[in-house]
Amino acid sequence: MKRSGISKGVLIVIVAIIIVIIAAVVLSYKQPSKQTTPTTTKPTTTPSNATQQAQKKYADVIVIGTTDKVSDLDPANAYDFFTWEVFYNTMEAPLGYIPGTTKLEKKLITNYEVSNEGKVYILHLRKDLKFADGTPCTAKDLKWSIERVARIQGDPSWFVLDFMEDVKVLDTYTLEIDLKKPVSFYPAVLAVPTYAPIPSSKYPPDKISSDNTAGGVGPYKIVKFVRDQELILETNPYYYGASPKTKTVVIKFYKDATALRLALQSGEIDVAWRTLNPSDIISLKKNSNYKVWEGAGSYIRYIVFNTKMPPLDNRLVRQALAAALDRQSIVQKVFLGTVEPLYSLVPKGMWSHKDSFKDKYGASPDLELAKKLLKKAGYSENHKLRITLWYTPSHYGSTEADVASLIKEAWEKTGLVEVTVKSAEWSTYLELTRKGQLPVTLYGWYPDYLDPDDYLYPFLHTGANRWLGNPFSNNTVDELLDKAQIETSQTKRAQLYEKVQDILADQAWIVPIFQGKLYAVSKRSVGGIVLDPMMLLRYYLIYKQVSG
Amino acid sequence: MTSLKTYVITRVLLTIPMIFILLTLVFFVMRVLPGNPVIAMVGMKASQRYIKQLEHELRLDKPLWEQYVDYLNRLLHGDLGRSMIWGRRPVINEIMDHFPATLELTVWGFIFSVLLGLATGVVAGVKEGGKMDFAMRVYSIVVYSLFIPWFGMVLQLIFGVWLHALPVGGRINPLLTPKHITGIYVLDSMLTWNLPALSSSIRHLMLPSLTLGIVLSGIYTRLVRSSLIEVLGQDFIRACKSRGLPERSILFKHGLKNALIPILTMMGLQFALLLAGAVLTETTFSWPGIGTFLMERIEYRDFTTVQGTVVFYAIFVALISLIVDLIYAYIDPRVRY
Amino acid sequence: MRSFSSVFSGIERALSGAGLDGYLVIFGSITVMAVLIMAIFANYIAPYDPVQSVGPAIHPPCTKYIMGTDSIGRDVFSRIVYGSRTILTVVVMSTGLSMVIGIPLGLISGYMGGILDRILSLIMDSIYAFPGLILAIVIAAMLGPGIYNTALSLAVVYIPTYFRMIRGEVLSLRERLFIEAARAIGAKSRRIITKYIFPNVIYLIAVIFSLNVADAILTEAGLSFLGLSVTAPTPDWGFDLKNGQRYFLSGIWWPVTFPGIMIILLALGFGFLGEGLNTIVSKRGE
Repeated sequence: MKRSGISKGVLIVIVAIIIVIIAAVVLSYKQPSKQTTPTTTKPTTTPSNATQQAQKKYADVIVIGTTDKVSDLDPANAYDFFTWEVFYNTMEAPLGYIPGTTKLEKKLITNYEVSNEGKVYILHLRKDLKFADGTPCTAKDLKWSIERVARIQGDPSWFVLDFMEDVKVLDTYTLEIDLKKPVSFYPAVLAVPTYAPIPSSKYPPDKISSDNTAGGVGPYKIVKFVRDQELILETNPYYYGASPKTKTVVIKFYKDATALRLALQSGEIDVAWRTLNPSDIISLKKNSNYKVWEGAGSYIRYIVFNTKMPPLDNRLVRQALAAALDRQSIVQKVFLGTVEPLYSLVPKGMWSHKDSFKDKYGASPDLELAKKLLKKAGYSENHKLRITLWYTPSHYGSTEADVASLIKEAWEKTGLVEVTVKSAEWSTYLELTRKGQLPVTLYGWYPDYLDPDDYLYPFLHTGANRWLGNPFSNNTVDELLDKAQIETSQTKRAQLYEKVQDILADQAWIVPIFQGKLYAVSKRSVGGIVLDPMMLLRYYLIYKQVSG
Repeated sequence: MTSLKTYVITRVLLTIPMIFILLTLVFFVMRVLPGNPVIAMVGMKASQRYIKQLEHELRLDKPLWEQYVDYLNRLLHGDLGRSMIWGRRPVINEIMDHFPATLELTVWGFIFSVLLGLATGVVAGVKEGGKMDFAMRVYSIVVYSLFIPWFGMVLQLIFGVWLHALPVGGRINPLLTPKHITGIYVLDSMLTWNLPALSSSIRHLMLPSLTLGIVLSGIYTRLVRSSLIEVLGQDFIRACKSRGLPERSILFKHGLKNALIPILTMMGLQFALLLAGAVLTETTFSWPGIGTFLMERIEYRDFTTVQGTVVFYAIFVALISLIVDLIYAYIDPRVRY
Repeated sequence: MRSFSSVFSGIERALSGAGLDGYLVIFGSITVMAVLIMAIFANYIAPYDPVQSVGPAIHPPCTKYIMGTDSIGRDVFSRIVYGSRTILTVVVMSTGLSMVIGIPLGLISGYMGGILDRILSLIMDSIYAFPGLILAIVIAAMLGPGIYNTALSLAVVYIPTYFRMIRGEVLSLRERLFIEAARAIGAKSRRIITKYIFPNVIYLIAVIFSLNVADAILTEAGLSFLGLSVTAPTPDWGFDLKNGQRYFLSGIWWPVTFPGIMIILLALGFGFLGEGLNTIVSKRGE
């Protein structure tokens, strides 16, 4: 008898579960299926005091979705694009860029002077700087923060260690930075978040503090951070500048581009930021409910040849492959025109850019030239050039397999090349590249500072290209690059960089493929998105109009 | 009850070699082959010196066996170590951040699959060898063959893109996230009586859990069917029939009731399948669970986190089957250990 | 020739009494045979080179490209035809490997017993209890992509399946009279295993095989969907499905739908075959 009682219990449990499910389904359908505006206008976090009534026509909350991730919230260790974007909004550096341009503007300083032939920088700080907790920020804090970066020796510490000899506080609002040698682009370095002052009360002096949300001096402060899920920013009441139009910015992290697009369409997010699939951008462009924002990108993709590995040590082979590369088919087929073909390592739009590869090999693939070069190098239909092309399947997005397939196809069109394609996950890929074990690899580059130097020196200067497995070294190129680093006249530097680009096109150690454009897609009511080569969103400029 | 106690202890002790074997396999496969977390994390721009420094901090420059002994030693003290990348958070925290999402998905998937399995299994088992029996057997094979990503994408297309009825990715509308109590959104929003959040999380759950539930229901169809057939063939059922009790009452009051006990034990075994299916479901629906998390950390070769996740999975599977066994022992007084 | 016709009449007899299960076997074998033929004669069936763009990108199905073209203009149908080679190769290699390792170990372990049996059983049970796909993911990701690596990682997952079934069967066979008799006349263990026990587990192997292959197909497709199985541009169903995913919700259904249906059909074919055979065999047994 006992048994039957318990079984009855089991049945009751099952019936209860069924009821719960039915209730849940009914409940879930009671909700209007389109839940767009009402949820977002509701202030879920504390509506802060002062300027509330003045901004009534703008929504208090904006939700931005991204597939990027925050790596490390400590400026002494963070060195990736998205985390820097958060920093640009929460901890400013002495300098910054005027939105929409590549021109520098003063942020935390009122002025700076350069003396001693470019080796000494005197920074005059604003007198009204306050951290997000209200404590004042002075030259002492800036010095402490810079020295902390040097002490911790994190990933981006070279911004300090490579250039700076000493830093001194002259008075409460004046700081002196002595450089090891004159550096023509040092003001651009002063705009990276590694130079942002942070409160010494909140950060340990010699340890990385990865999930620290204290921040520095910026229009926003971080109020909540759940790794890989969300980041919530609120306006910083102590910010020296104008208060942003949007009080709360929520950043939602998505796993992939598809999820991001769906989130936009379901109304979960107001702005879909990096990176949507090309096909989604194209189809959203046709949809009048959304605005597609487009801007020049400074992101480049290229092929690296391991010149220490035969047959790629032969310049003729590299030239032939450069000539046979079909940039248009990659741009059109894989990216549906959302990127641009690139014929130099310096992206279009940056001063000193020169289409060196176009000048040498033409805009479209020149199969005849490629065949001629390959035959000269001793290859024929019976004795084909055999090479292995490597790619990494997820780091550069799901389009990467198609890019590799098209490169293979283009090279094999010469009839003299046989390409084997292989792939490895990101960490293996990097490690094998560093060890110089991969013959042909595909990589991409985001700039650290907007200067041609950052597109040439790390690739072509002896020693600086160790991350590519030290593939080559060339004295002339080294000399030109060193000279350009200390030269102060932009015209003269441009001439030097143009020469370097021509040498690269001739040697074809690295072959550029394309340059990214920037896209953000938002709801119609959203405005104030400015996309420029800095490739970051300035949350403080974004607003959303509330209808009615 | 002492025999039960010994049984539990033996079972718990038996999971230790299981974890040890899996861990050893994963540990060595992972570290012998190229790729390491430091390089993956810092990317291509970092200096050699910085990489060496990080490797030293993470003790990756030590000999392999030393790292192994070290790891086992920590594990014995219940410490899964810290992640090797991005903030180096304790592995257990990372897992616990993602586990509620997976639990929520698998529990709902489980409920759906059991309900569907019961319904179809009963239909099949009532008349063995009949047309409906055959149809349900075909059903069980067909749904099991439905490739989860494909099936999920089809549901996304129909309900998400065409009908605009249900969201097709994520766990909840980000602005509605309930207060964190258990991390299981449905539960949290019920506890805080947050109706919009409850509704949003259930709507987000629908498609992924249905995908998982339907695909795995085939297994339960078979279990229910064979168990019911066995019970219906027993003497006491014949006795009921001869006494002239109505068919329906025989089936539900006596047949199904007794068939449920063996079904219950089999459920524990199927939980591993549910977890494996959840990985594909999570990937298809961008569900931020432990499966997508594991995939990401594998890509970055986050050694400690991958090991920790494997250990966690092993413990979880062992725990489920232990619980099921205990319930079985409690329900069925014939079972004594 | 005689043996040939006897095989056919055997099949006929087997199916005649099988009723509906006969249809399962027939459907299953036709599907499996069709895919097999597709794989063997891929170069005659496929109209285009599967790794070359032969038309405009993402072109919907038409008379020229009966299943349309994919993201870079390759013919979807040709890729599906050649893709059958990839999945079958991986699955056959992996199940072969698991059988070659799992069956002998199961025989020895079951017959010998003792400490060896204890250790082997413990190892196999540990792997068996763990979610298979997840273990395969970890191993495949570490080994890197490639047909052999994928086959190896699947094999690790499925060895315990064969081991456990065979061992269980051997345990019950060991106590049977004819084995006892063989032992009594002093036959060596090796001889008993190969001559007396092995022939008695062959039918079981066939059943496990057909059920296991259906599973292995889904796992292989799962691995390649997660990007862990092959490298582009190798045609592979799971991989192509993944590659088409980014277009799917914009309404471009063909690069996803067709590979998905093929995966399901092949798994279904083996599933039906296994189910039908299993039922027929057990009916016979009664």
